[in-house]
Amino acid sequence: MNEGILSVTPYFFKVWVRNAQVFMTLWKFNFLPALAEPLLFIFVMGLGIGSYIKEIEGVPYLDFVTAGILGSAAIMQATFECTYGSFFRMRMQNTFESIISTPVSADEVGLAEVTWGASRGLVNSTLVFLILLAMGIFHRWQVVFLPPLMFLAAFNFAAIALLVTSRIAQMEYFRFYFAGFVLPAQFLCGTFFPVSRFPEALQIFAWIIPFTSYIDISRSLMLDRPARALIPELLWALGTTLIFTELAVRSMHRRLVR
Amino acid sequence: MIIEAKSLHKRYGDVIAVESLDFEVERGRCYGLVGPNGAGKTTTMKMVYCIAEPTSGSLKVFGLDVHDNPRQIKARLGVVPQENNLDPDLSTCQNLRVYARYFGIPKDIAATRCQDLLEFMHLSERADSPVPSLSGGMKRRLILARALMNDPELIILDEPTTGLDPQVRHLIWDRLLELKDRGITLLLTTHYMDEAQKLCDELLIMDEAHSVDVGTPSDLIRGHVHPYVLELRADRARVAEISERFADLEHQVSGQNLYFYGNTTEEFDELYGAYPNIEHLLRPASLEDVFLKLTGREIRQ
Repeated sequence: MNEGILSVTPYFFKVWVRNAQVFMTLWKFNFLPALAEPLLFIFVMGLGIGSYIKEIEGVPYLDFVTAGILGSAAIMQATFECTYGSFFRMRMQNTFESIISTPVSADEVGLAEVTWGASRGLVNSTLVFLILLAMGIFHRWQVVFLPPLMFLAAFNFAAIALLVTSRIAQMEYFRFYFAGFVLPAQFLCGTFFPVSRFPEALQIFAWIIPFTSYIDISRSLMLDRPARALIPELLWALGTTLIFTELAVRSMHRRLVR
Repeated sequence: MIIEAKSLHKRYGDVIAVESLDFEVERGRCYGLVGPNGAGKTTTMKMVYCIAEPTSGSLKVFGLDVHDNPRQIKARLGVVPQENNLDPDLSTCQNLRVYARYFGIPKDIAATRCQDLLEFMHLSERADSPVPSLSGGMKRRLILARALMNDPELIILDEPTTGLDPQVRHLIWDRLLELKDRGITLLLTTHYMDEAQKLCDELLIMDEAHSVDVGTPSDLIRGHVHPYVLELRADRARVAEISERFADLEHQVSGQNLYFYGNTTEEFDELYGAYPNIEHLLRPASLEDVFLKLTGREIRQ
């Protein structure tokens, strides 16, 4: 049987539509609570702590931390969707089993889940983007590239999350994933202060997690300054996204077709 | 031939789920798989609808190999799984229409079919109800309606009536026989021998991953058990005593029950004479006796 991303046909989009349809019937539970965290971050980090810090790397702290808040909104939403959300559909509701009993393949379900997680990350971070825009935080037109970049970041983290989901037997394992990877990514990747503050070993660790690249590129779009290494960062972001998506899709196939 | 399995094997790690299974299902027939839990029935079905891959052997559905053509095969069959997997966040009708989308059925056709099938399964009044508000019987009927959305040539039913009340069971039986009359092939598993006898043209009895016997329900009864069964019930000491005393009459012991098999009722006369007051039941042999004879009366792990 053909496996992996290359075996996927447009049938995968039907699964995305199913998720979107369920999402819309429950929209009030989905939109508003997800915004609480980024809004609190803006308030606590930007306006609260920021009022003491004044400046970091030559810019006001609120301007600096915005990239981290926006990126967190994207990757955290994508991660939740493709961990607990996907696991729930797979194990509690047996939704995937019902879908792969139709012409849709397991690989298509896998790609649809990753795409859906990425879409939720995009929706969430775009709402935060609009709030920041309304607050007058952005000063450059280049910020229009932020939503597509956030979509890529969400896609990347959705793929990693689905790979984990496809490998675990019970939900409790997600605690290790969140403690060992997601939270370090959220806090260590230059989100709230520059990675250069770390000892070198930790800096390397931070740069391996692609979130550091997304934040560095976002910051270069928001603030008038170059990214540390735009092309390698973009390649790393795209490459890990592609690799993890392929791994997640194949792993989901093995999990569902047994 | 709708299904053709030749020396089909399925292994999960060290566990052998299905071994050297051969069977054929002709178009328009109802083919039953029966056997104790863990015999390999569900695994066999999952291989037919392409969500489990055979370890070795050949399996063709509609003449297509399951390994090479899962999408084409799945497009032409409907599945009623053992466990309900309806979408709890969607309504009755939405469940059918979302499912139709997976088959690429155009919206307007899906809408008409949804209406027709809900009527067929007596669910029209519940078209807009959320799934969690449906009773167990309604959910089961909805799953059957969902399996019919793509107008399948083959319907795979894994214990379609387990846990349902008699009214719903009869409704489902009526519908399945009606579908069979239309030329649709049915592959089903059940633990109810009355259901197997009523619906199936042919039965495959499975035990511990193997095929034990194949045949029509009446051939199986003729081939394995005598036409009459006398059931006796007594305490264990008495059961042992009777079993020893009438050792040359064919019988089986199960706890406090004795089952004697005979070609005529006269064969039991001496037994009646010896124990006139014992609790007993004389009845014709059924598929259940065949099943228990072939797979044992004792519970296994």
